[in-house]
Amino acid sequence: MKNNVSHLKLKLSIKSLVILAITTVPMFATSADDAKTKEVKPQEPVAAQQADGPSYRNEASFPKIASGKWTGPKLADGQPDISGHWSNTIANHNNFTDPQGGIPNDPAPRRTPLGKREDRAPSRVSDPADGQVPFQPWALEEVKKFQVGFHNPTEPKFIEPLARCAPGGVPKSFYWHGYEIAQYPGYVLFVFNNGTRIIHLDGKPHLPEKIKLWNADSRGHWEGNTLVVDVKNHNGKALFGRSGEFISENGTIQEKYIFSNDGKRYNYEAVFTDPTVYTRPFTVTIPARLWTYEDKPNGWHFEARLAKHAGKEPIVEREERICAENNGGFGLGARK
Amino acid sequence: MNTLRFNTLQRYRPTRFKKVGSALLLLIAVFTFSLVTPSADAHDNTKIPRLANGKPDFSGIWQTTSAADYDLEPHSNRKDAPPGPGIVEGGEIPYLPKALAQRKKNFENRATDDPALKGYTLGVPRAVYYPEPFQIFQRARDLTVIPQFGHSVRTIHTNNTEHPEDPNDWWLGDSRAKWEGDTLVVDAKHFNDKTWLDRSGNFHSDALQVVERWKFIDPNTIEYKATLTDEQVFSKPWNISVILHRHREKNFQLIEDYRYTLDYDQYYPPKPDQK
Amino acid sequence: MNSNLGKRQRAFSTLILGALISASLVSVAADENITPAAQEKKSAAKPVETTPPAQTRRPREKSFPKIPTGKWTGPRLADGQPDVSGFWSNTIGNHGNLTDPQGGVIGEARRTPLGPREQRAPSRVSDPADGQFPFQPWALAKVKEFQIGFHNPTYPGHVEPNARCAPGGVPKSLYWHGYDVLQYPDYVVFVFDNGSRIIHLDENKPHLPEKLKLWNGDSRGHWEGNTLVVDVKNHNGKALFGRSGEFISENGTIQEKYIFANDGTRYNYEGTFTDPTVYTRPFTITIPAIKYTRAEETDGWNLEARWAKHAGKTQILEHDERICHENNGGFGLGSAQK
Repeated sequence: MKNNVSHLKLKLSIKSLVILAITTVPMFATSADDAKTKEVKPQEPVAAQQADGPSYRNEASFPKIASGKWTGPKLADGQPDISGHWSNTIANHNNFTDPQGGIPNDPAPRRTPLGKREDRAPSRVSDPADGQVPFQPWALEEVKKFQVGFHNPTEPKFIEPLARCAPGGVPKSFYWHGYEIAQYPGYVLFVFNNGTRIIHLDGKPHLPEKIKLWNADSRGHWEGNTLVVDVKNHNGKALFGRSGEFISENGTIQEKYIFSNDGKRYNYEAVFTDPTVYTRPFTVTIPARLWTYEDKPNGWHFEARLAKHAGKEPIVEREERICAENNGGFGLGARK
Repeated sequence: MNTLRFNTLQRYRPTRFKKVGSALLLLIAVFTFSLVTPSADAHDNTKIPRLANGKPDFSGIWQTTSAADYDLEPHSNRKDAPPGPGIVEGGEIPYLPKALAQRKKNFENRATDDPALKGYTLGVPRAVYYPEPFQIFQRARDLTVIPQFGHSVRTIHTNNTEHPEDPNDWWLGDSRAKWEGDTLVVDAKHFNDKTWLDRSGNFHSDALQVVERWKFIDPNTIEYKATLTDEQVFSKPWNISVILHRHREKNFQLIEDYRYTLDYDQYYPPKPDQK
Repeated sequence: MNSNLGKRQRAFSTLILGALISASLVSVAADENITPAAQEKKSAAKPVETTPPAQTRRPREKSFPKIPTGKWTGPRLADGQPDVSGFWSNTIGNHGNLTDPQGGVIGEARRTPLGPREQRAPSRVSDPADGQFPFQPWALAKVKEFQIGFHNPTYPGHVEPNARCAPGGVPKSLYWHGYDVLQYPDYVVFVFDNGSRIIHLDENKPHLPEKLKLWNGDSRGHWEGNTLVVDVKNHNGKALFGRSGEFISENGTIQEKYIFANDGTRYNYEGTFTDPTVYTRPFTITIPAIKYTRAEETDGWNLEARWAKHAGKTQILEHDERICHENNGGFGLGSAQK
């Protein structure tokens, strides 16, 4: 059983405010599994994972990783072997341009005051330099309306789609719960709690243009340490998070997943183009790190356990990926 | 040097020695296999079933896995349909403007207006890609196509006969076929306008003509292609293509599917404790 | 073009009219002629160039030869089956009355009085000798209710299912419109206007699971000389046997024999019906049938066929599209409104 952070908040109440405050904090917590109690069945103690793993902290800055050769291990088909459990290192989907700055216009009082902007992680937007999404005026208006309506939605469009466990889509899936990357000849698979992205490596044509998808349609190839992905057929419906930014179904994305040669980190750098929404293309950068058996399970980044088996080596198992199945208000869990 | 990572989806990576040994074994296996088995060419036409007269024998129970019947054109999911890439070459059916308006109307009213809801016949070519099996019985002179759905039976004549002099407007049209090598080329026309091409309201008039090409890809797979022409509805001919798979489950057979009896069949036969 | 559809409607109207006429015909013993009005209607129905206009329905038989089971000396198909493919139809009458097939629908007003019983064809029931269905009392009561309710149905179960074009089922399909018999390695297929029966000749193939009940039953057969022996299970009982309301239940099974004459022109159906929940004992139904081979015999009931158009010299008989609902309606009304 796990409680998801996704919630459907329709009424502002003291209780909600407190709960909201609690859940916006976890990204700053020293112990990452405080806000979400994970009722994991007690496992046989197989290794030192639970007890001695390092505690997790979010980052306020992260290293740039240069595109170039891959010197790490490779799979039989030649792909860099980067399969595993990954998660972003900055924050969740509360705020796109100030990821650690809390939900815009959040009426709930902060537990700790916001410090200086430069002390927090930079905007997800790495280009342009001002860290703002280059919206056309009409689009910016819509975003601002969302940032107000989010806190008291009187229209369905002000409900952030993750509250209903709609698929996180692109790019939001990368700064929500941790996810798994799996590799096969011809495919790289991203498995999220509320959806999947299948990156086709064989160069087959994209789906017909009129088919629009929550997770879009992806075609990729490797260039050294970088997985280059062309994304089309985006339906734009997932939005980018609780600050309301978005792309439309006319948008396309060029992604680069740049992996460090020790295989422990990658940076997502993606150019978003949509002449019907933006005044120019812009770049989103999301750092991610690998989680392994040496890490403590974490109800957000790393919902996993060590497998029970006769052998000695630690085998990490992922918890069942569900979202809608267990969705509900904070702390409430699913009713039906 | 590298952090050992194990996870649920990662494959076990063998040691170098094991890798070399495995590769060698694989090489030997492939070599042996190629010696003892005939060419595994999927288009080896000598292996397809044939009638006594040498013509390909399409007898058997077939079904597509395509979502074509929900909508021939590429479409995202709907409450009443899974998504599909469509089976129309080029992605769009070239409707004449007035016909496109009718198609839109059909789509909006599909829950009530789809003629398949009546349950008796799917028409041509819809029965080919409807998501239920159909059985082909083939003799030298004809193919008899019996869909599981509905009651209608289609005869495709392969005896060098022509469309009749005084045709009707038939529900299934009139089908006359010739062989081009191992491809069965069927000319079907003389239709009425009372069937749809799919559930989403793609339709035709009584001017419809369908030229089909049935060809084995391998003994258990048929590639079905068709060109649809209808000058009252479409601005030009257009093509569809689906793959049909043979049902090979043990003892598989059609099970009748007469939807139209379901509203009244509870009243028959009389029962001792009834009324 | 709706002119062709109009032709279709007229053809079907003719069919219904023809059925009515044939029913009334047999009440006038030995009268083989059709009234001029009907003749005119029939001629107007389907002016097909390759079929001569004059169409005379073969007279109904009042008696028919028994065909003994035995060797088959006629032509065979490549797989060894006796070649009996073609267009067939029963020779006695329609489904109006099972125990007195040429006696008209029970309870229906007659234009001319029925003559002596022995001048008409015997009951479809050939065993027991009295030609009556050995119904249990409750079932006989239901049949009698149907025979009254048929004329003014206030209960849906008193609507004869053929009226709605429900499949004719077993055995009614064999004395309704004419049908095709087609043969293939491992199959004999019967194609009726409102359904099909696929007889699986692979007797190792088990029947469908018992809880699946079908209008046409589920059939497994094999040849014994001139006889196609068929085991029928999974019968749903819903088609009834005809307008006199007899029936079998879903607990019934049927053992059929299609006994073919060696000249290939006739066969007799002898089916033994067993249902301990409806009958007091098994009984046999016998149905004689003849083969139709000429387009000139097209009569809208037994045969709706034409000579194929082709470059060759041989005459090839083609049957018309088999439909029922698609053109169903009240007598003389033609195709359904929707």
